[in-house]
Amino acid sequence: MKNFLLDYNLKVRLPILIFVVLTVFVVTYYASYAERNGVGYTPAQPILYSHKLHAGDLKIDCRYCHSDVDKSRHANVPSAKVCMNCHSIARKDKPEIIKLTDYYTRGVPIEWKRVHKVPEFAYFNHSVHVNKGIDCSNCHGNIAEMEVVEQVKDFSMRACLDCHRNPAVNIKNIIPGKENLKINNGPQNCSACHR
Amino acid sequence: MPLRENQEKSIMDKKVTDISGKIIETAAVTDTTVPVNENQEKDSNYWRSFRELYNDPDFIREKKNEFMPGALDRPDENSFSKFSRRKFLALLSASAAVAASGCSNFRDKGEIIPYNKKPESVTIGNPNYYASTCTGCQYACGILIKTLEGRPIKVDGNPDHPVSKGKICAIGQASVMNLYDPERLKNPSERINNAGGNDITWAAADDKIIAQLKNAASSGKEIVIITNTINSPSQKKLLTEDFKRAYPTAKVYSFELFSDANKNSAFEKCYGVKTFPLVQLDKANVILALESDFLGNEGNKVENSRLYSQRRDAFNGEEFNRLYSVEGNASITGMNADYRMILRTDAIEEFVYCLLNEFISKQKVSALSADAGVTGKLQNYNLNGFIEKNNLSKETVAHLIDDLKKNQGSSFVTAGSMLPESTHIAVNLLNEVLGNNKLYIKDVSTVEQIPLSSKSELENLISDMQSGKVGAVIHFDSNPVYNLPGDYGYADALSKVPLVISLTETINESSDKSNFVLPVNSMFESWGDFQTRNNFYSLQQPVIAPLYNTRQKEEILLTWSKGTKDAFNNEIYQKYVMDNWKAGALQGAGSDADFMKKWYAALNDGVVSSKTVSSAGENSPSSFKSEALISNNSKLTQSNETVLILLKSSSLGDGRFANNGWLQELPKPLSRIVWDNYAAISVQTAKALSLKSNDIIKVTTSAGSIEVPVFIQPGTAEGVIAVELGYGRNVCGIVGKDVGVNANKMMSKNSKVTQWMFNDAKIEKTGSTYELVSTQEHFAFDEPLLKDIQYRREIIQEGTYLQYKENPDFLTAHKTKYSEEETEKLKVGSINEQYVHTGTKWGMVIDLNKCTGCNECAAACNVENNIPIVGKDQVKANREMHWIRIDRYYSGTPEVPKTSFQPMLCQHCDFAPCENVCPVKATTHSEDGLNGMAYNRCVGTRYCSNNCPYKVRRFNYFNFRDRFRDSIQKEESFSLMANPEVTVRSRGVMEKCTFCIQRIMEERQMAIQENREIKGSNIKTACQEACNTSAIHFGDQNDKEAEFYKLNNSKLGYTVLEEIKVKPNVTYLAKLRNVLEIEKTEEHH
Repeated sequence: MKNFLLDYNLKVRLPILIFVVLTVFVVTYYASYAERNGVGYTPAQPILYSHKLHAGDLKIDCRYCHSDVDKSRHANVPSAKVCMNCHSIARKDKPEIIKLTDYYTRGVPIEWKRVHKVPEFAYFNHSVHVNKGIDCSNCHGNIAEMEVVEQVKDFSMRACLDCHRNPAVNIKNIIPGKENLKINNGPQNCSACHR
Repeated sequence: MPLRENQEKSIMDKKVTDISGKIIETAAVTDTTVPVNENQEKDSNYWRSFRELYNDPDFIREKKNEFMPGALDRPDENSFSKFSRRKFLALLSASAAVAASGCSNFRDKGEIIPYNKKPESVTIGNPNYYASTCTGCQYACGILIKTLEGRPIKVDGNPDHPVSKGKICAIGQASVMNLYDPERLKNPSERINNAGGNDITWAAADDKIIAQLKNAASSGKEIVIITNTINSPSQKKLLTEDFKRAYPTAKVYSFELFSDANKNSAFEKCYGVKTFPLVQLDKANVILALESDFLGNEGNKVENSRLYSQRRDAFNGEEFNRLYSVEGNASITGMNADYRMILRTDAIEEFVYCLLNEFISKQKVSALSADAGVTGKLQNYNLNGFIEKNNLSKETVAHLIDDLKKNQGSSFVTAGSMLPESTHIAVNLLNEVLGNNKLYIKDVSTVEQIPLSSKSELENLISDMQSGKVGAVIHFDSNPVYNLPGDYGYADALSKVPLVISLTETINESSDKSNFVLPVNSMFESWGDFQTRNNFYSLQQPVIAPLYNTRQKEEILLTWSKGTKDAFNNEIYQKYVMDNWKAGALQGAGSDADFMKKWYAALNDGVVSSKTVSSAGENSPSSFKSEALISNNSKLTQSNETVLILLKSSSLGDGRFANNGWLQELPKPLSRIVWDNYAAISVQTAKALSLKSNDIIKVTTSAGSIEVPVFIQPGTAEGVIAVELGYGRNVCGIVGKDVGVNANKMMSKNSKVTQWMFNDAKIEKTGSTYELVSTQEHFAFDEPLLKDIQYRREIIQEGTYLQYKENPDFLTAHKTKYSEEETEKLKVGSINEQYVHTGTKWGMVIDLNKCTGCNECAAACNVENNIPIVGKDQVKANREMHWIRIDRYYSGTPEVPKTSFQPMLCQHCDFAPCENVCPVKATTHSEDGLNGMAYNRCVGTRYCSNNCPYKVRRFNYFNFRDRFRDSIQKEESFSLMANPEVTVRSRGVMEKCTFCIQRIMEERQMAIQENREIKGSNIKTACQEACNTSAIHFGDQNDKEAEFYKLNNSKLGYTVLEEIKVKPNVTYLAKLRNVLEIEKTEEHH
């Protein structure tokens, strides 16, 4: 009886258990990969701002609002004042614009939900990438098609290194007018990003 | 089942209590035929049911049992479900897991909160710089404040400032910590009857104070304003005009813990000019420093260091100057001197007279040799006898006399400001005799806005306070209770004053004795103007809105002088300064629009040169009045007792910044001691009194006594003890409270010599000890293994200036020259990957000729790189976190040491030994020659630190921010101070100098933006920017066009521990001592 039990455990139960655990792990790992890296993250924003309308249909340049993207490490989120440049006149009666105007007149900053984030210990620099002609869409996807901004690309270190190692293949879009700039391999040493 | 039975029994044996807590049951369960309980009858007021009330026997029986009949029967197992609990739980969790895996939820990434209306000048992520003025001491250096998103995070010198020229001292560097100090006062408070303070509103405080001030003024009682040096024209106008107009009995007293008062009064006696003139130190070929630490803690150190080091540059074509130092205390100036003679401080005056006698009477170098009065005065001083008596080196004195004589008109003698007026008079004559008055600057002079109060003025003030003639005392950001010599009896007199108001940033000894404590803005939140010299003005501007409910101290007085609390508004003092500038610094600006243009230009530059030089005649010295010397009664004569000298602290200044941990943890240049002051004594004195370092001694002078730990400082004169002031604050924040010993109480207004010097001290051994902690071990001088190791291992390579001039290759001449073939053979195979740095390769050059060992670099590095304060106990365990340290090496004998300084930081070796041993590849090399450190990868094995030949790696044994002094560094305000471009390291990771990678990356960003090559000359590391003597250079080693290339390949260059072939990228330029003899140490080369 005892022998039988041991055999049963070893021959049947254990392999099944290992199989189940491994399958679950592998499936979960891959199934949750995007989620862990934030791919697909589409948080609701305090104001229903449409990039599709502004950047897509109206063809406003990214740098009209994200004006410091080529000057600084950070691509700034515009202040309410920038929105009001147009919206003090345009579409004043729409509910979202009324919301915006309210923020602006009260002097309260709008707390936009952050969509893209590299960890604190990595120092990404927008300016050096944009000034080399690397288009926003290479990392941020086709924002001009998005009603609500969503993270579409992986923001892991592997994603960074893929491009740094092989920009010719991985960089798909170049900012118009900057096609002549030579894009070398990006630095691959640790201190390029970690300090 | 016997066990179960027992259990039941024990349960039932338990005493049972009813609601009222009374024991109603003690009997055993088995006894079922219990009679009616007698207590039951008495307690019949309380019943739970009628059965109980009527004492139903069934009920009583039941009550004996805890459980109802049948309750303890075993259940029928067959009636259970076949589905076990374990299975149920397993299924439950499995289904929960399945359900959870189907869910999709993202990690919240927080918010991005942009400005509502972004100021035009702000670019998020790029710093803004504002020109301002530092108020850390009386010298008011020009500063540039770096702000990121509105937060000041770094202070450096303003290059446009004519005095400081882009450099500031450690106090200025660390001043951002004062702004963010969580212990700053946050609200005005009123103390009633010596009880603790109650927070009140500004309006209430203003109302109460104005009423009391008006009262005092109308009843003719004096209103006293006590300040430190006033160097602001607007402050002066406010205090002496506007405030005085409102309160006619107001009077301003100013004092300074350390001042040039003796120097100035001596100069007035000699030349009839009130202030000692400025000196062209860079024109002096020979400098004689008499107990003067002009490179360390005396005078405007920033300017002095710059001027001195201009003549210590092997490449700018100017001859080296020669620095002689004669001193009792071991100062940095002395340790940097080419010739240092050790002489008791109280013999200095005699030495000057001997020199005068030598030059006037014997060598007749001056017309004064015909003046019988002068020669008569000098005839008793015999240089040879003096040399004999004090055991000075004859050759050195001969060199000195020779040099001074040869360089008449281009040498300079300077005496320490602690020395009495009589010494300074003699020194003035010596400079006059040698024609060195040519070096005095005629057209530019120091401006004293309000002269410091004299001793008699302060004495009168105290007696007025004692006798009740003073109605109110206002401490205008000053701390007289702590800073004034104890024998004035200030604290006692203060208790007689009905109204005491302290305007201060943090609590201090004076605010503790005040009725009103009003918090004031820090220098980052204030407006102001300064004029320290007559050729320029400088401006101070706020770079951040006040963090707390504070007001600028000038605003407060201005409000009071308007007589109503309603006069206050946020711009009141800014307007006041602007109005003053309309009539002063920017007078004749024309229309308002023109004025505003000039005003903004002035704000942008931080300084304006003033065209109106105030009556030149007043400042240019007339001829020397020899009667000043003839009537000069020597105050300083050699005694048989010990000399006590009280020094300005090298890092803390006058103690006002005691709560700044960065300054407390900055090592003293020579002893490398942190977090304490001590009595520096000589080796001989220690031997004579059988004292060891850390023994506590009792020092007694005519002014009193203190107990202070001893530190044996090589190079101190026998019979001299030196103690730093500024320590021992007992009313202070948590960081600085009771750090060190308060030696201020040893100062005396009645000292026979000066406030800072006594020659009647007695030392007693107390028998107890106290542990001093230093960042560098002091090995025994006679330890054969370690003696002169810095020379034997060529860590320090030195030569003499003459040697260098004769043969610039002297440093490498002794090294065996190999042919190329031989070199190839000698190459050691490396286990490293062979990097070929074809592009940029970063490197640093440190010019040891210029380095004075002052530590400014370390202070700047702390601020730039978010270095935590670790506290004394951790420094003791060698866990200080400074990324750059100054190694101080002694050679020679303990009595007469020769000192070498060497800044040591990560050498970014080409074949870095740390990189090989890291098991997780957390420290790696970059193609531009940097040895990088990825904190998030580090697991803290510390192998790298173990394998580093330079010992420059620092490990976070704790989260030091969390550990030190009740986690004060974790306070929210401190987190605003951190440089966002540098990671704040946590426990368990290794860190080290990064060559300020964040600044390299900033230049890289600019280069890419401007589509050009990255240029090394555009990058300044924090230490380089701070170095007062510009000894540190940083650049691209492969950029052949750059100035840096020349320095890096200079014939004086060497790397430390060359023989281990790690190929460091920090090149040191060998120190050249400007001595006449070829030194003995050259044997080692």
